[in-house]
Amino acid sequence: MKAIKFVSVLFLAVLLVGLTGVGCGGVGAPQPEKVITIGQYADGVSLDPQNTNDNASYSIEKPMLEGLLGFNEKMEQIPQLAEKWDASPDAKVFTFYLRKGVKFHDGTPFNAAAVKANFDRVRNPDNKLRRYTLFQQISQIDVVDEYTVKFTLSEPFGAMIATFAHPAGGINSPTAVAKLGKDYEKSPVGTGPYKFLEWVPGDHLTMVKNPDYWDPQNAAKVDKIIVKPVPEVGTRIAMLQKGDAQFLNNVVPAQADTVKGDTNLNLVANEAIYTFWIAMNTQKKPFDNVKVRQALNYAIDKDAIIKTLLRGYGKPADSPLAPRVWGYSSVKVYPYDPAKAKALLAEAGYPNGFKSVLRGGEATDAKEMMVALQSQLKQVGVEVEVKSLDAATLTAERFKPVAENNCEMEYAGWSPSTGDADWGIRPLLTKPNWPPTNFNIAFYTNPKVEDLVKAALGTSDPAKRKAAYAEAQQIIMEDAPWVFLYVNNTMGGSRSNVGGIAIQPDGIGFYRSVSYK
Amino acid sequence: MTRYFIRRLLFIIPTLLGVSIIVFLIRYLIPGDPARLVAGPDATLQDVEIIRAEYGLDRPLPVQYVSWLGNLMHGDLGRSTRMHRPVTEELGRAIPATIELTLAAIVIAVLVGMGAGIIAGVRRNSIFDYSSMVVALLGVCTPPFWLGLMLMLVFAVKLDLFPTVGRGGVDHLILPAVTLGVQAMAIIARVTRSSMLEVLNMDYIRTAYAKGLTAHAVIIRHAVKNAFIPVITVIGLEFGYLLAGAVVTETVFAYPGLGWLLVQSIAFRDYPVVQGALLLLAFQFAFVNLLVDVIYGFLDPRISYGTQ
Repeated sequence: MKAIKFVSVLFLAVLLVGLTGVGCGGVGAPQPEKVITIGQYADGVSLDPQNTNDNASYSIEKPMLEGLLGFNEKMEQIPQLAEKWDASPDAKVFTFYLRKGVKFHDGTPFNAAAVKANFDRVRNPDNKLRRYTLFQQISQIDVVDEYTVKFTLSEPFGAMIATFAHPAGGINSPTAVAKLGKDYEKSPVGTGPYKFLEWVPGDHLTMVKNPDYWDPQNAAKVDKIIVKPVPEVGTRIAMLQKGDAQFLNNVVPAQADTVKGDTNLNLVANEAIYTFWIAMNTQKKPFDNVKVRQALNYAIDKDAIIKTLLRGYGKPADSPLAPRVWGYSSVKVYPYDPAKAKALLAEAGYPNGFKSVLRGGEATDAKEMMVALQSQLKQVGVEVEVKSLDAATLTAERFKPVAENNCEMEYAGWSPSTGDADWGIRPLLTKPNWPPTNFNIAFYTNPKVEDLVKAALGTSDPAKRKAAYAEAQQIIMEDAPWVFLYVNNTMGGSRSNVGGIAIQPDGIGFYRSVSYK
Repeated sequence: MTRYFIRRLLFIIPTLLGVSIIVFLIRYLIPGDPARLVAGPDATLQDVEIIRAEYGLDRPLPVQYVSWLGNLMHGDLGRSTRMHRPVTEELGRAIPATIELTLAAIVIAVLVGMGAGIIAGVRRNSIFDYSSMVVALLGVCTPPFWLGLMLMLVFAVKLDLFPTVGRGGVDHLILPAVTLGVQAMAIIARVTRSSMLEVLNMDYIRTAYAKGLTAHAVIIRHAVKNAFIPVITVIGLEFGYLLAGAVVTETVFAYPGLGWLLVQSIAFRDYPVVQGALLLLAFQFAFVNLLVDVIYGFLDPRISYGTQ
């Protein structure tokens, strides 16, 4: 029947057209250029470090923009554009001695004037930059000579050095900023081993090797880095397996075995500075009783959780801070002891336990974690209802002021982005940081801790600061405003023939030293 | 006909106004503070207030609505709270990607679906008929998320025939378009088949055969043309649905389109983008329906609009 034949031919034609798509596009002679493609969980939002508050953007900025100091892949402070620095004992004056002979990607010389212009920009409230509050304590910047710059603060701030190491301290070329104005954040100019080439938002961003980089030891080892936003983790794994990407930021623990089991792939796990915990609202019964809070700490089998849900990539929390945070000191791990938990609950007046609500996010691993915690708490008589909320609703709920706040038990984590103990304790455990100001969702306060935190900020002497934080951590562990859970790992995936690339403990990609082995 | 077309086009405007008011009102109902979400939990209250003031989010809602409407008259949809960029730029970038993907999906769905439906209708109760209808059922039931990842694993990873992600040449379009088009393909196949069966039973078909026309001429020139009317309704509806519903496919294949943009904006309460995108989708849907009605007028001489 001719009609049938006609339609069948059309049918087949469609299939054939489809197949001709195979292999089209991108086929050409093998290129001698070394290119690394990175599959990142999200695209950047801004490429101006002073206007960025998300890790995806920082990950992209870091190979291109450098600060006076930086972090290495272990979260240790390293000198970058400053060779050395002094701090006054009262933590109000910081002087930096800059590296000589450095140029921005557009040829502008790097010197004290450029540093002054850079930080004057972010601390000027009229510029409305997102990172304004991080640098607002700077009251004056002086160019002492061409390579020496002095910052004076309006009040003592011992953690200021760490703030300069924070990715928001990345230094932009003043010429480029003046020329591009509001559009600067789409095409940054810095001093790093890679320079910006192009950005098609949502699709890809390309950076190329900077042949004039000031540190030949740590120069770019590949010609091009391309970052592609790929939101779905299953898709990222497929990209890596196929070789469409050479590194993934990031991989989740559930995928760890898939990556490890493939001989072409490597799992790049790095101990993080994230601590995960359950905050208990200390202003509400029964969590106002320290015995109840300690009891719940004894009720959780942290080793079991780490082994099963984190696939072994983590360690129990022995402090509110993670070990790689500057100022961390090891206090103790609450051992798994359900009998002791029940005894403490009985002493506190809850021999039959109590009911409560545990809230957290919607991600699969968060839900799994909360269900595991729920079953462990049940063993000691504490029955919790698990509520998974989407990020926006969860944030709205948690940031309500104390009178309207419904928090009871909140599963969350935190990493101090400056890598310093101050930002790991103050926003979470002091009274001025009760919601809606910041994230102290346990509504915790202890006058001794408040004093210690203040003292640690009032001096620049590292030994004095560490001593203050050590004592504070001790008190916090005893007061147990949280059920202290674990410190996890950042996880990236790479092809086996690729090295020098990882995800820093703070979750920001460390791409600048990537190379083919 | 032209008057009808213009009148219908003008009616779209109050529809869009209604949609924009509803979206604005939803802000009252849904928890979530755009300024805090953009600033992050890491930020101080001061940081949040700065962002709030920057985007005028501290003004009362009716004031914000009127201001937004005023800007709309100038073609300014505001700025995305999350991405720092004008909404028109965000939408302008996402739309071509979604249209490309949707057109490819519809083309595949129509050609394969109609082809299968016609053959199944003509060869009723044959093996082809039964098997193609079973495949159609599977197509409707398969979650696009799973299908997309499976196609990627088999054709892109194991067999290395296509790239895994992103937008680019034709090769980047095939797997996502198939994933997206499968459900529409299945529905179109079934509707085409039923419509063909109905038409083939009509008297005028028997007359055509009696006149001595070949089966080829009868089916192509008479049957399909008449069977097409209900099918075009379905195609129109599917097209409108696909434009908005490509979220899952876009996420799996990292295809930078409108669906993905919309979902991300909702998650971050990026209201300027949400409003702009929903306005656009409402317009597209209304417009496609209008086109479908107009095409009816051409296809079926019994239908006429406007005055005689």
